[in-house]
Amino acid sequence: MKPTACPRFGKGVKLRHDGNGSIMLLIPEGALVLNASAAAALELVDGTRPLAEIIAAVAAQFDVTAERAGEDLFELFERLEQRGLIAPFDGARGDKAD
Amino acid sequence: MTKLTNQLRPLSLLCELTYRCNLQCPYCYNPLDLKAYRDELTTGQWGTVLQAAAELGVVQAHFSGGEPTLRADLVPLVEAATAVGLYTNLITQGTFLDDDLLDRLLDGGLNHVQISIQAPQAPLADRIAGAIVHDKKADALRRVLTREVALTLNCVLHRLNHDSIEDVIEYAQRLGVRRLELANVQFYGWAYRNRTALMPTLEQVRHGEEVVAAARERLRGSMEIVYVLPDYFGDFPKPCMNGWGRQFITVTPNGYALPCPAAAGITTLAFENVRDRTLVDIWKDSAAFVRYRGTDWMPEPCRSCERRELDWGGCRCQAYLITGDPGVTDPACSLSPDHAAIASLREGTSGAEPVYRRA
Repeated sequence: MKPTACPRFGKGVKLRHDGNGSIMLLIPEGALVLNASAAAALELVDGTRPLAEIIAAVAAQFDVTAERAGEDLFELFERLEQRGLIAPFDGARGDKAD
Repeated sequence: MTKLTNQLRPLSLLCELTYRCNLQCPYCYNPLDLKAYRDELTTGQWGTVLQAAAELGVVQAHFSGGEPTLRADLVPLVEAATAVGLYTNLITQGTFLDDDLLDRLLDGGLNHVQISIQAPQAPLADRIAGAIVHDKKADALRRVLTREVALTLNCVLHRLNHDSIEDVIEYAQRLGVRRLELANVQFYGWAYRNRTALMPTLEQVRHGEEVVAAARERLRGSMEIVYVLPDYFGDFPKPCMNGWGRQFITVTPNGYALPCPAAAGITTLAFENVRDRTLVDIWKDSAAFVRYRGTDWMPEPCRSCERRELDWGGCRCQAYLITGDPGVTDPACSLSPDHAAIASLREGTSGAEPVYRRA
């Protein structure tokens, strides 16, 4: 996924805040537990924010460099995209990703 | 990012709303004595079950059956699940999923639909279903694909349709399906009764593995293929339900709470009913849920096995069906003293006529 792409959730994908403060990603017939930085990044996914901006925001929140935050997050978004759980969305062209 | 596999908390509730169905698939895992389940829970009783599930920490409710769309109150039940914060999944064969029902389900908050086909071609599919329904299912699939809801296409594989595995993938691709589940038949209920007719051959199983591996490579990023391995062909048993009474609860149409959808077949255990006790209490301390929870119950070879928290001794229902004792190592495990029974079951019979499901 390019840094300029604006990710959005695929159909049937939902963030869920659990009672004990943890955040899960609910997906078709399953659930993934998110670590703190993955949760922070996915909370910002709305189909309008570019990935680079999401990474910068998470980096600021956890007080690390954007490069450091990007290492893990690019891989996370890549994996979620492979499974159709996240789609890169270019709002300007109105692409539908799946 | 990890899978929730190692904590004791029910994550998933399977609501078997009814065992009624207009199809007669011989691979169905529903019990043989379908008539015994006609005294179905009311809408209000299901609402109480859903609320209790949410309280226990369940995150997903799966509405299944039988055919769940035969319940007139399916929409209010989806609404009730959504209202207590549950992710909702409808597991259907799709023959009643018209625009109106789909509209109402989506308004009610439905997140995911799983539609099953019996084969990729109408003649074979209709023969397996025991009804002329294949084309109707294709309509339902197209309908769901245009909506804001996730879809999984499911096809249960067995001796009679295994050779069509490539065509199933092509069928899914043509429709634009994003998630395909190819599930080898699991031998419970009607499927266990029909095991000689449904048992795939070793050639079919090996061919299936190759086809799936190649398709996953070819379709990477455009289709996710979930492949459920055949049970009798591996060295180790499946980690059934991720362990007995650890993460899954099934409630039958007449209100029995089970650690596994096939568990009602185990007649040596007394399962409790949500009409008599709350689901919260049943989950926490009912004798049947506690009996095989964790590892303390395990006999050898499980007890000292390094895989005991990987496969949790395999499947209790399978151990019971094959040996008569739900408390022994799953015979599907190559280390089980009863493993020889699996080898003889693995020999299916070509041309054997399956018995169609009927009430």
